[in-house]
Amino acid sequence: MKRYALFLGCTVPVRAQHYELSARNVAKELNIEFVEMDDASCCGFPIKAVDAETSLLIAARNISIASTMNLNIVTLCNSCTAMLSDAQKQLKHNEFYKKFKELGFSYPHDVVVKHFVRVLYEEIGLDVLKKAVKKPLNMLKVISHYGCHYMRPSQLHEFDNPEVPHTLDELVTVTGAQSVEYVDKKMCCGGSVLGIDEALAVTMANHKLHTAKNSNVDALISICPFCTVMYEDNQRKAEDKFETQYGIPVLYYPQLLGLSLGLDKNAVGIRFNRVKASALLEKVGVA
Amino acid sequence: MIELKNADPNFKWEIIKREGGEGLLKCFGCSDCAASCPVRYFDERYNPRKIIRLTLLGMKKEVLSSPFLWFCAHCHACTERCPQGIMVAEVINAIKNYAAEQDYCPEGYKMQLDLLNKLGRLYEIEDFDLRKREKLGLPPINKIISEVAKILEHTGIIERVHSKNAHANLKSETRNTNE
Ligand code: SF4
Ligand code: SF4
Repeated sequence: MKRYALFLGCTVPVRAQHYELSARNVAKELNIEFVEMDDASCCGFPIKAVDAETSLLIAARNISIASTMNLNIVTLCNSCTAMLSDAQKQLKHNEFYKKFKELGFSYPHDVVVKHFVRVLYEEIGLDVLKKAVKKPLNMLKVISHYGCHYMRPSQLHEFDNPEVPHTLDELVTVTGAQSVEYVDKKMCCGGSVLGIDEALAVTMANHKLHTAKNSNVDALISICPFCTVMYEDNQRKAEDKFETQYGIPVLYYPQLLGLSLGLDKNAVGIRFNRVKASALLEKVGVA
Repeated sequence: MIELKNADPNFKWEIIKREGGEGLLKCFGCSDCAASCPVRYFDERYNPRKIIRLTLLGMKKEVLSSPFLWFCAHCHACTERCPQGIMVAEVINAIKNYAAEQDYCPEGYKMQLDLLNKLGRLYEIEDFDLRKREKLGLPPINKIISEVAKILEHTGIIERVHSKNAHANLKSETRNTNE
């Protein structure tokens, strides 16, 4: 059994419970144990634009919680992953470590920070996943969206290809679903500018929704709650602005994987998807 | 028009000494960052190369007061392409940080800062949320993480962002150049 401290962040536990639920249930199926980080806060990323140092200290405090538990951290949000990874690297620098200590925090054990999807890829592995699939989703065609902070900046993550990523496509393929090839794979969802200029953010999100529609996919696969806000919650806005119809369900990867592992639709929280996925469920044969 | 007579030669050093600002001097202006930038692709008013060049030239007021500075999505596409190995997104972030302290912090960020101070989180957790979590079999979560306020107090960021006259110098300079 593999054990990790689960870092939820701000958005997932209140706005994306279906992501959390499906991740926890998939973990159970795969013999992964999540330990709660009760006193964990926001990762710090939301105020990085205001003060990077403060956001790093907030992130480092979260890392210290896992460090005291002597566990590595699993995250569900791309931005949490990048923010905590950055702080983890900074803790090795004397100057930053000193500031961290001044606040009374401690870092007894080194902590590795990884996105859950990366853990599935690197620490569980495609072979194990392939064997665990009970209900191959051969009838589905999807488009995989990585989001920026899953693998960029590469100096921080040292994982996957920052220009043409492939790990999520491989993980999707394991479920039996087809992950379509397309250009502009690394395009940003626009989430970070939503609060600054909504029209720009929606235009950025529209780019991939448009590609998804042209590729005739059953769903867009996301691994970050911010990306889902852009592609799912703001899908209607993109439809209005660009005078088109999308109706593309946005599934979190653990929801897709969960269905292929034979979990029922409640166990992956499908009813919480804002763009209804009933056509997809019908195809898969999940009542 | 770039009026070099208004240039502030210290500006670039202010950025370089900040968290993330280190690489600034290495920029040779190739524009690879701008060519890879998704925001620029959709809105030409934003250009990371221009922000960096203006910073190097000392065009403090132009850079700090531009609303387009905040258009950067921090996606790091530019960082991957910069032939000088500059973490471009971090440099832009350092400039935003400096702007935030010079009274140019967007209201949305101030609100997030206040929420983190009050809750340690971005969203207020209502009893409704906790009941929903319980129904789904998800473990309870703490409503308030008070340690975050301690960190904010320690770095003094709220005061720096909110204090109106912190940098009256820049403001009066701005006024003079406008006259
Ligand atoms: S890619 Fe790097 S060197 Fe080229 S203009 Fe941008 S920051 Fe300067
Ligand atoms: S990080 Fe900012 S400047 Fe760099 S490519 Fe992304 S949006 Fe453009």
